[in-house]
Amino acid sequence: MRKLLVVFALVALSGCATVNKMESGNQNIGERMSVTLEGAWNHVALPNQGPGQTWTMEGLPVDTLLIYSGLKDGEAIHRPGAGGQKSFNFRATMQPDEIVGLFEGFLSLDGSQFQLTKLEPATFGGEKGFHFEYSLVRKVDGVTLLGMGYGMVSKRELFALVYQAPRLTFFSRHKDRVEQIARSARVKT
Amino acid sequence: MNRRRFLAGGCAWCAGLAPTLALAQSLQAQQWAAPARFSRPDAATDEGGLWGMMDREESRLRRRPFNLKDPQLQPYIQDIACRLGAEHCPDIRVYVMRTPFFNASMAPNGMMQVWTGLLLRVENEAQLAAVLGHEIGHYLARHSIERLRQARSNMAAAQIMGLFGLVGAIGQLGVAASMMAYSRDNESEADRIGLLLMHKAGYATEEAAKVWKNLQLELKERPDGGARNPLFATHPAPEDRQQELAALAATYQGGTPHDAEWQKRVQPFLREWLIDEIKRGQHEETIALLTRLARDIPTRPEYLVARGETYRLRAGKDDFDKALGDYQAALGLEGVPAEAYRGLGMIQRLREQPAEARTNLLRYLELAPQAPDAGMIKSYVEELKS
Repeated sequence: MRKLLVVFALVALSGCATVNKMESGNQNIGERMSVTLEGAWNHVALPNQGPGQTWTMEGLPVDTLLIYSGLKDGEAIHRPGAGGQKSFNFRATMQPDEIVGLFEGFLSLDGSQFQLTKLEPATFGGEKGFHFEYSLVRKVDGVTLLGMGYGMVSKRELFALVYQAPRLTFFSRHKDRVEQIARSARVKT
Repeated sequence: MNRRRFLAGGCAWCAGLAPTLALAQSLQAQQWAAPARFSRPDAATDEGGLWGMMDREESRLRRRPFNLKDPQLQPYIQDIACRLGAEHCPDIRVYVMRTPFFNASMAPNGMMQVWTGLLLRVENEAQLAAVLGHEIGHYLARHSIERLRQARSNMAAAQIMGLFGLVGAIGQLGVAASMMAYSRDNESEADRIGLLLMHKAGYATEEAAKVWKNLQLELKERPDGGARNPLFATHPAPEDRQQELAALAATYQGGTPHDAEWQKRVQPFLREWLIDEIKRGQHEETIALLTRLARDIPTRPEYLVARGETYRLRAGKDDFDKALGDYQAALGLEGVPAEAYRGLGMIQRLREQPAEARTNLLRYLELAPQAPDAGMIKSYVEELKS
């Protein structure tokens, strides 16, 4: 954990990352998705961070909410090169288990252990989608995180949010807040 | 590469001296005698400092959730290391780490890490013994101390850390992290010692060369054909290593591979290790690995099902057909995993074969009612009913 904090502190201090407050109320995410926030979040913009937005309540790397709005067929779910030799690309024909597999592969690229604990149908963005839950043992420091996500494909584009935080204290502290965001999500059809 | 060594080595092989060199190396190995057990160095020395650093790393390793403390598997792997280490056995402490890459390493204080990606890839005890013997060879020849002193002189101390367990960053390379920083001479010496230890422990030494041959099958499937792998830049190429080990093994005949015992012992972990392997998302390498394992161990349905899953997830041209072929072939074997039925059902559902899809998905739910994706599969079954 200490190593991670040092890395993120250095990144923040060097001015590479910018943090913006996401206020309560309606927020548009990309061109087609909107959510309603009950309480503010921090939106962290990192250079070359890829197609998803990164939000946090406690600060990185403690908790992370990744939001994808309209990821197109063939696009990677991570920034270019972050997948190493492998690029984890979304395909519009993917089934929910395959989309979860993308996140699984991406989140365990560094050798972290991802364990899917639930995958079920769910409504997301006002459409038929899926919900999943997982645990992740982070390779770098051995901390166990819990995570959950929602997703759906509309007009061949992926809309998803994935939240993860340490199992102790933090995940349960913000779980309901994330669930509320997921329920509020709307995608323009 | 050292030009002089390259030319000398190349000329020697071109001149047909390979058997002579191998014989000379084997004679050296036969003359080699294991040192007495090492005593703990004075903490004030450079070696004592390195031991202290490794002790701290080891105490962290013990607590890590990646450390598989399985009461059957850990003592089994420890026993193999002990047979190789002989009188050094009390100083060797094996940690089996759940990480899906080919890797083992040994620190100068006796801490040995063995990754599950290596355990998945070897086909018998002798192949694992070849890798562990090699690591014990580094330990007995005290290569890490040699490297520490060299690193100090050239200010590359960070390289030393790469030797032992700071493995996350290097893991994706898919090769033994511990082998990265040793010199070619160190590597060759560790290979020779490892082979001798295998022989003394009663293992079939010809299995050592197969480890490298098998690794090449995977490396060739990498997008860069393995060309950017540091192994090729700073160490003997796997082809050379395979040839040298095969030549050495010819002088140490006898011994057994212990196939049956190995396969029995790792069987309970196969499913988990295969899932970890598929998750890497390196489909081409995984298919090469599973094709080899399915060919060499044809009685295990797990390899066929895992390859079927990999084809299904890759979803390229003809991949669904290949996946169906693998699932069907696995159904003919004993102990087929439930995932075979799920895979069949998922593809049949996409191909609009509702009756077949429903039957197979129901069978999956019957065999794995607690599966994490049971909720999703049930929704498919409902959808297929209409």
